[in-house]
This record gives sequence, C-alpha cells and structure tokens, in this order.
Amino acid sequence: MTVTTTELAGVGAVSPAPAGEGRRRRSLDRRDRIVGLVAVTPALILVLGFMIYPVLFALYISFNRSNGVNYEWLGLQNYVDLLVDPLVHQIFFTNLKFLIAVPLVIFVSVIVAVLLFERVRGWKAFRLIYFLPSVLSVAVIGIMFKSTFSFGGPVNAAIVAFGGEPVNFFTDGNLAIFVIVLALIWSGFGYQGLIVLSGLSAIDPSVFEAATVDGAGWWKRLWYITLPNIRRVLGFVFIINVLYTFSSLFGFIFVMTAGGPGYETTTLDYLIYLKAFSSANLGAGAALAVMVFLLIGLLTLLQVRFFRITGEED
Amino acid sequence: MTSTSATLSKPARLPIFLLLLVLAITIVYPVVFLASAALRTNADYLRDPFGLPREFTFQNFLVLVNNYGLGQAAINSAIVVLSSLALVLVVATLAGYAMAKLPVPGARYINASFVSVMLIPSQVLIIPIYLLLSRLELVGEFGGVILVYVATGLPFSVFFLTLSFRAIPDAVLEAAKLDGAGFFRTLLFVVMPMGRAGLATLAVLQFLGMWNELLFAYILLPDNTKTLVTPALAQIGSRYVSDQPLVSAGLLITALPPILLLAFASKYVMSGLAAGVTR
Repeated sequence: MTVTTTELAGVGAVSPAPAGEGRRRRSLDRRDRIVGLVAVTPALILVLGFMIYPVLFALYISFNRSNGVNYEWLGLQNYVDLLVDPLVHQIFFTNLKFLIAVPLVIFVSVIVAVLLFERVRGWKAFRLIYFLPSVLSVAVIGIMFKSTFSFGGPVNAAIVAFGGEPVNFFTDGNLAIFVIVLALIWSGFGYQGLIVLSGLSAIDPSVFEAATVDGAGWWKRLWYITLPNIRRVLGFVFIINVLYTFSSLFGFIFVMTAGGPGYETTTLDYLIYLKAFSSANLGAGAALAVMVFLLIGLLTLLQVRFFRITGEED
Repeated sequence: MTSTSATLSKPARLPIFLLLLVLAITIVYPVVFLASAALRTNADYLRDPFGLPREFTFQNFLVLVNNYGLGQAAINSAIVVLSSLALVLVVATLAGYAMAKLPVPGARYINASFVSVMLIPSQVLIIPIYLLLSRLELVGEFGGVILVYVATGLPFSVFFLTLSFRAIPDAVLEAAKLDGAGFFRTLLFVVMPMGRAGLATLAVLQFLGMWNELLFAYILLPDNTKTLVTPALAQIGSRYVSDQPLVSAGLLITALPPILLLAFASKYVMSGLAAGVTR
C-alpha cells in the first residue's frame, strides 16, 4: 500500500499531471483496493469458516461435556481430568520414546547431505531416489513396514533363513516403537538431507578454499567449518522433527499398530482420535487437542529461542 | 558450487559413492521387492520370498479392483483430489495475485492470519470439522472432504503464490493496465503465464498432500463405496497382512501417482521442497 502511494507521488513529480488526473488516480486506486479485497474474499471465507472457526469451536467444546448435540458447561474440568489421568501420563511418556527418532534421522540426514555435497558422479540421481519416500503417503509407508515386519513377513523370513527365531514385532510395545522409528528414519532422511544440503550449499565456498590452502583435511573441514556453519539449518530440522513426533504420528500408528498392544504405542495425537470417535464425551478429545496444540506452540517458541532461528546471525 | 565439491581427490570419492549407493539401495530394494511380490501368486511368494518370481500374474491387482473396491477408491480419490486441486488453485491464484500486487486493505493482518493457521495441526480440527460438516449434511459426501482439503490447503497456497507472483515486475502489469486489460485479463494472460512455474510447483505439492491424506479421508467418508484410496489401503493392509503379494499390489496402486509425479515432474517436486520448508 505504502509502496503504491510513493510510486504515485513519484510519477506525479516527474510528469506534472493535468488537473483531474490526481482524482482519477485516486479513484483507480480505490477501485484496486476493492478489486483486491474481493479477490481475497473467497480464500478468507474458506479459511475463516473451516480453519479459524473450527479452532474456536474446539476451544468451546473443550470447556463442555458434549456428545456433539448437547453441551454442558464444565469449565476447566476436562483439562483437569486429563492432567491427572495416568493413561495420559503413560501416553505422554510414549511420545517421549518416539523422540529417539529425532537424533537418528538428523544423523542420517547430515551424512546424506555431506556425501551429496561432494557432488560425486550420479549425485542428482541419488538425490532423486532419496526423495522418493517423501512423496509417499504415511499409509503406504506404514503398511509397507507393517507387512515387512509382520510375523510371516520378509524380515522374519530372513531371520529364520539365518537360523534365528521369528520375532513378533507388534506384540511388544517397544519393538513396535522400534519399527515405527525405523519407518520414520527411512521416510525422513531424504527430505531432511536435502534441507541440510541446501544449508551446506549456502556456505561461502572461499571458506573451504582458504581452509584447504591452510592444510585442513576433509574431516577437519567437516568438523570446524561445515557443521558449525549449518547449525541454524540443523536447529530448524530439529524443530520440525520434534513437532512431527508430537503431532503427526497418527498415520503410522493408525495403519501399523492401532495404538496397541494395549495403549503401548498410542501417542497423544492418536489418543485425540480415539477420544473423539470412541468416547461419550467429545469435550475430553477437544481439550486434549487444545493441550497438544498449546504444547506444540510452546515447543516451537522455546526451540526458536534456543536456536535463534529468527534472530540475526550471531 | 562446483569448486567446493572438488575438494577430494578421485580415489577418496569412491567410498562416498559407495555409501550413497548403499543408502539408495535401502530405498530402492524395498520398492523393487514389493513390485515383484505384487506380480506373484501368494503360493509362489511363500515358497521363496526373496527369490525371483516363477510366473508373473496380475491376479492381485484384479482381486483388489474387483473384490476389494480399490479401483473404485482410486477413482473416488481422483475425483476428490482433482476437484479440490482445481478449487485451491483458482481461489489461491485470485488471493495470491491480490496480496502480491493490489493494495488490499488489511493485507498485513490477512497475511499474518494465513501464516499462523498453517501451524494448526489437523488433530485440533477433526472434532469441530466433523460436527460442522455433519450439521451441513456433508459427512459421507465428497463435498465435505473437498471443502476441508481446499480450506486446509489454502493458507500455504496463498502464501506461496503471493511470494511467487511478487517476482513479476510491476512494469509488466502497468503495461497491461495501459493496454486496457482489466483484473481478469491481466490475471489470465499476464500473471498466470508468468507465474506458471510457481503454479505448477504448487499444484504438484497440493496433489501429493491431498492424494496421500489419511485422517480426514477416513473420518469424513465412512461409507465403503465412497472411500478414498488411503483408507481403503489401510483396511486391506490390516485385514490381509499375511497375503504379502496382495498387500504389495495395493501399495503399488496407491503409490503409483506420486511416483509418476516424482519421475516426470521431479523439477517441480524438488523446487516445492524449498517452499515446503516454511510449511
């Protein structure tokens, strides 16, 4: 807006407009504002109606006992019930177990990025291959790992072929989590490796050249130049991974374990779904959703501050 | 960029190539394994899971399409995704052009609210969206899912197109204006052709997101005849887990459109990456 006004002023200064020209300009500008507003309106209505209103609605439901038709005001009772519920504590702890995937994914991603950065023969083809899991649905990846690690699946066939006993991966909570973590690494390292690679490519090449001239070897350069220079990208990758662990495991859990055995692989976001569609009180599900949303917001703020993602280069 | 890459001598680069190759195999081998399993009978597969198929059969695909409704589900998904995609692109193009080039009143606030709703996880939306759509009698209808896909896809789409349309020089738009082109003519014949790379990237990203979506597809279309491809696959995967060839065939059908996109539009998929980072 300000840009347009200054431009108009500039135009006026260069070529003195005849009388009436200014008024015409102003009316054209007003027309542009109206046209602009009308053009934005459909998007605005859809986002207001199907994103902002639902979030406020969820907040309202969370203060009520509700079956979707009747609402009984409870105040903060749903939140209190969740906070003292041992099952919620257990499930929060399960979420923490999934965090083991974060350093592993980042580790593999950094390796991938550092290797791709050397631009060896065929690196573009490798990049494309690594990217493949990123375009697949979690439903596809989840079922792929589920059938691969099932009791009669290829992994057990290989274990038996090497003389071992078949393992039932999905009757033990920790083993099931192990398989899901493997799926997370397999599906995540390509995309995140490319993010890290973009960070590497942004490093000033002359830094490397200077170091090479000074006689620093490949490992030294990696440790003292490459990694310190991408710490912001690493911070960013760390954030998206932690957020993912708290908000986006639903698909994997849904197709691989359905939260079982018992509640051993149920995560917070899967519990929201369970509470929403199999409990008498929608308020509890909504309250949990709001709490997870707040947790995610809090984590983002803390991590952004910690890694100074948005701050100036220090 | 290439100067930094030549920091290693030729022999030192061989282990790097080999490591990259090993990593690539961890991706490619499972896919090839599934593809070959999908073309075998269950008996042939069970005889030797890691061996080569003795005979090829398309039986698994036929069973999935004829008996388990995966073909119908894929058609349903195509209908829902293509309609949602068209709507998102039209609505986001209008809004993106306005936000990029027109003096929209309150543009800063509109932009800020679009950016902040991008952070909303879909779990927060499932209960209220379900209640809202059932009141509109859209649960169990394609229209309901389409509305949700359009609305949840819009914030990012508008943000993305605003950025890519901003790169169009003002002088070109001024020239169009002097030629007497109105809003729609400018949009159709100047903005869209000049912003086509951005539009294509966005279309690819949105297609992938919608085709792969599971949660809303599952809860908003409970009826089996209207189910989309991801919930249908989830059902097949949980019921017939012991029939690896059948499940593999289901995986291939579901994964085929994204894989084809990656193969033939990799440029747009990859350039979407940089933008997806901000998501």
